[in-house]
Amino acid sequence: MKGFWPVFKRDLFSTFVTPVAWVTIFVFLLLQGANFYLLVAHFTNQVDIAIDRGPVQWFFADSILQYFPLLMLAPALTMRSLAEERRSGTIEGLLTTPVSTPAVVLAKWAAAFVTYLAVWAPTLLYMIVLKRAGEVDWRVVASCYLGVALLGAAFTSLGVLMSAMTRSQVVALLLSLAAVIGLLIVGIGEMIFDNGPAHDLCAYVSILSQMADFSKGLIDTRRVIFDLTLTAAPLFITVRAVDAWRWG
Amino acid sequence: MISVEKLYKSYGTVEAVRDLSFEVRKGEVVGFLGPNGAGKSTTLRIVAGFLGANRGRVLINGHDIVAEPFEARSCIGYMPENVPLYPELRVSEYLRFRAELKRVRRADRAEAVRRVMRNVRVEDHADVVIAKLSKGYRQRVGLADALIASPPVLVLDEPTAGLDPNQIREVRELIRGLAAEHTVLLSTHILTEVEATCDRALVIHKGRLVAQGALEELSKLRETSTTHFVVRGDAQKALDVLEAQQGASKVRKRKDSAEEVSVLDVTWKGAPEATPDKVEHAVAALVGAGIAVREASPRKASLEEVFSLLTEEDAHSDHGSDRDGEAK
Repeated sequence: MKGFWPVFKRDLFSTFVTPVAWVTIFVFLLLQGANFYLLVAHFTNQVDIAIDRGPVQWFFADSILQYFPLLMLAPALTMRSLAEERRSGTIEGLLTTPVSTPAVVLAKWAAAFVTYLAVWAPTLLYMIVLKRAGEVDWRVVASCYLGVALLGAAFTSLGVLMSAMTRSQVVALLLSLAAVIGLLIVGIGEMIFDNGPAHDLCAYVSILSQMADFSKGLIDTRRVIFDLTLTAAPLFITVRAVDAWRWG
Repeated sequence: MISVEKLYKSYGTVEAVRDLSFEVRKGEVVGFLGPNGAGKSTTLRIVAGFLGANRGRVLINGHDIVAEPFEARSCIGYMPENVPLYPELRVSEYLRFRAELKRVRRADRAEAVRRVMRNVRVEDHADVVIAKLSKGYRQRVGLADALIASPPVLVLDEPTAGLDPNQIREVRELIRGLAAEHTVLLSTHILTEVEATCDRALVIHKGRLVAQGALEELSKLRETSTTHFVVRGDAQKALDVLEAQQGASKVRKRKDSAEEVSVLDVTWKGAPEATPDKVEHAVAALVGAGIAVREASPRKASLEEVFSLLTEEDAHSDHGSDRDGEAK
């Protein structure tokens, strides 16, 4: 893993000294804040709250508003990753030092993933607010954040791959948005197809039912394996793509 | 230190480098000379380990750039064309990052950064964000980056491109100063650059090595049989006198300017070596005719002319003179 640390540190540093991260955090928290506000307004008038349809479930899975920030965050964080290095030519200086391509790709992904987690971190405050108003099962909250982290790992990995496909940040952003939204749409197939292979496949990749499961504290290994595969495979392809520029 | 053997590289159907072989020995400063699009950058990128060649081998300090990439790349300080840098970092931050990438030991990093900033004289800009640097400073930061791990080999792609004359002079002095401790391969499309900084030149045209040799040999290539006269007096008379000279094949009046000064170009028959005698006679004749001679100098061929000369001879497989290195 030659060169992992310096690249990881520089990517994180650059994310936070440029406005990109701050604008992303601002928009993300604005959307999450709106989501949370509506949730509070909704539950204030509820007399009876079902145990598996409470505010935590609403916030992480049931509210459609959650999916805008959840799906858009990773593409916004990864669009620069490799596309900008290629556009500006800094990739040349980077890859001519004694580093290995897997280390560089992994460092880029790790920096994006850590940023992703950092952007999510302030939403823990919402849980604290809920706790002060009523009961919150912290194990369920942990499971929700595990779901968010696993999806984030997969989405940032897809984003890094898309960023390796082009020199343009905008194209990278659009490609990764297409990938994650495409995945969401395929998952909706679960509600459309009757029982059968199509239904099973759609159910397996569904982001919606994954978040529904995790928000109820249900950690299904199939989901975990799916997310980890979706993290590892794009990173592997990215490494091959980066080497392909050099040998093509 | 650098050994390139039978290198081929094509982009799609375009052959950027064809059968290129050369060596750079320890302690040499070698200029890689060629017009734009000759394949200089491609070759340097392959040498630095950024691009892969289709065929051929590159050895850096005995390490194959493909088989032992880490060892080979550790020996090179590479400065890419146009010096891409991260605009959001400060100069010292950038150099520290590069030092870490190049595996300079943690304890030595601060000292290494200070040393290279002193070498290229950017200490006063250590805390400036790279985005705010002028072109000259960016170039120097790129050079500092190439130097930071004290590599034995420096590969510099157009180190003076886009600089103003003062900066060019500074960078050239800097490169000359590096020659003591480093082996340098630099590319340029400017002939005077090679003359100012290099011991030896490799001339590349359309991806092939067309000539290589010491600078004296190269400047011999630039000799022409044309002499450039600046005279004062009756221009027509001067023209007649020069035309009457033995061996003058073509006389051309270039321009008239104020105070009766005119500029004339005379092309002589025969080899360039024989011209000085003829010029002496011509000057005597002009003076004899009452025309004042202000200047009589041999005209040097431009690089483009040298290229066309070399490539023409290459095509006719002329193996005369002091040019080796034609494609074997």
